[in-house]
Amino acid sequence: METKTKGLANAELWGGITWLALGLFITWQGWTQGLGVLSEPGSGFAVFWCGVILIGLSLTIVVGAIANGGPSLGSLWADTRWQKVLLVMALLLVFGFFFEQIGFIPCSLLLLLVLMRFIDPVPWWQAITVSFGAVLGVWFLLAKFLKIQLPAGVLAPWLG
Amino acid sequence: MDVLASLGLGFSVALQPYNLLACFAGVFVGTLIGVLPGIGPVTAMALLLPVTLSAPPEAGIIMMAGIYYGSMYGGSTTSILVNIPGEAASVVTCIDGHEMAKQGRAGPALGIAALGSFFAGTVAIVALMLVAPTLARWALKFGPAEYFSLMLLGLTLLSFLTHGSMAKAMLMAAVGIVLGLVGTDAITAEERLTFGRLELLDGIGIVPVVMGLFGVAEIMSNLERKLKRDVVQAQIGSLWPTREDWQRSIGPMTRGTLLGFFVGTLPGGGAVISSFASYALEKRLSKTPERFGKGAIEGVAGPEAANNAAAGGAFIPLLTLGIPPNVILALLLGAFIIHGLQPGPLLMVQKPDVFWGIVASMYIGNVMLLVLNMPLIGMWVQVLKVPYPLLFPLILMFCIVGVFSSNAAVFDVFVMVLFGAIGYLMRKFGYEPAPLVLAFVLGPLLENNLRKALILSRGDFWTFVERPISGVCLGLAVLMLIIPLLPSLAKKREVIALDKE
Repeated sequence: METKTKGLANAELWGGITWLALGLFITWQGWTQGLGVLSEPGSGFAVFWCGVILIGLSLTIVVGAIANGGPSLGSLWADTRWQKVLLVMALLLVFGFFFEQIGFIPCSLLLLLVLMRFIDPVPWWQAITVSFGAVLGVWFLLAKFLKIQLPAGVLAPWLG
Repeated sequence: MDVLASLGLGFSVALQPYNLLACFAGVFVGTLIGVLPGIGPVTAMALLLPVTLSAPPEAGIIMMAGIYYGSMYGGSTTSILVNIPGEAASVVTCIDGHEMAKQGRAGPALGIAALGSFFAGTVAIVALMLVAPTLARWALKFGPAEYFSLMLLGLTLLSFLTHGSMAKAMLMAAVGIVLGLVGTDAITAEERLTFGRLELLDGIGIVPVVMGLFGVAEIMSNLERKLKRDVVQAQIGSLWPTREDWQRSIGPMTRGTLLGFFVGTLPGGGAVISSFASYALEKRLSKTPERFGKGAIEGVAGPEAANNAAAGGAFIPLLTLGIPPNVILALLLGAFIIHGLQPGPLLMVQKPDVFWGIVASMYIGNVMLLVLNMPLIGMWVQVLKVPYPLLFPLILMFCIVGVFSSNAAVFDVFVMVLFGAIGYLMRKFGYEPAPLVLAFVLGPLLENNLRKALILSRGDFWTFVERPISGVCLGLAVLMLIIPLLPSLAKKREVIALDKE
């Protein structure tokens, strides 16, 4: 049975507050966009009312969290390998930054090798075989066969 | 006779070599992703959407549809042999299917799942063929008020059926609508919520959103804990069920098909809830309910028939009204639009080759699936043995490639990573992504019809209540909102709500 907390560590409360802030922001955005009149609603009409609904629903969550409590923030990540999740996210962001400059093949090879060797390690030979096979296979299938654009990057002189 | 002539046209389209290949590719990939835990039909369809861009529209849609109903077949293999559902609609098959496998009866369990799926899938297509033209003619009378109310009902129903807090599910739907409104206003051409980013002028792409919320977030959640997979090592043996198996299964299969088809057509309904409903129904009707959970073949036949019939039934609201009843079909709607087609009552009139081509391809796809899932079962068992540490990096790479190639923009890769992080946190905090995605797709349509209805009625809100179809839809939506407030009915909602896992 999960223990509930009513203090500031209450995850439900923080979830509700986050959505409340988003609801306020969206309502303001809708307002500034212009509501128009009922017979001719403006661009901000639907945005504004969605924001208002968001505020209402997030308030019910906040009130519920204060009254009934909820799981603590720490308990959501207890006994999990959250560091690996963070690492994968960071790797994906780095990949995004270098994808176009360095190119699909070197970037994807690096990503696959790092993921296969450092997240849940598999033997080197498996990591190298699968990475090279998958990346080159995808490149030939998409870029050469289906003519889908993938950045060649530093390999552009050789890949054409 | 009209229907038969149209079906003839459909087969002439579906049997063209390119479309046959697209159908085979779809059902093959569908079975594959159904078999593989950790990647569902939503991710696979989002992944392959860019690939279909270079194909003719009918081939692209045939392939995407094949992935959907193909995944319903494949999911049962993993449920029976590994006790992990390959996709959400096969959760309930784990209960008795895996028990049968442990008792050395994996063959008949897999066999009845495939045969039941084939039976239900075929019946659902016949029903789709018969119901769709009538419904499409009826839908021609729909105006903006009816469309608005119907979509609102769909979103409310999905929120109602989503596991956990209904307030959270509705909140997700509201966020989804707002995300769908980002970009240029279709009526006034004003920019909305773009924050000066040129990439957002056309709105946020559905592929990065879906891939982030379902593909990346699913991987993140799986990475938190080591996945343990124990494939049943015993010989699978003969797949053909015994006479007694057939006697026990024929009733559940028939009932599952009818129930699944009906639930599948409902906005917000779908394969997951129909399989649970079928299991509960069979257990209730059985003279020996104590056998359920201990390897009762009825517990496999009914739900598997139900989820496949639901997959067929779900095409009805999409093809006749242009309204996707669930997230997967929402993605298919996106595929239609990307290919320059608008599903709805006019599709059958303006593009009969596409409409009937899709229907005919589903017959062919069902036969292909039977072949893929009966004689080739050994191949899928081998696929199951691919370790997750090798699989997840490949899925991530496919996600990146899929997202990038849909728009040739690295911005979309960042959007996917952002939604991956949001989706991961949402799962942690108990917010389901399905209402968000459906609302994201329906958001622009919902707003457009709301504004058109208000303009046509000169700002009179009563137009939504006075028009009979619209009024009934709104009434039902209000009912869904009231039910959770009544304690006795709220408990019943929790029973039928989609299981979180």
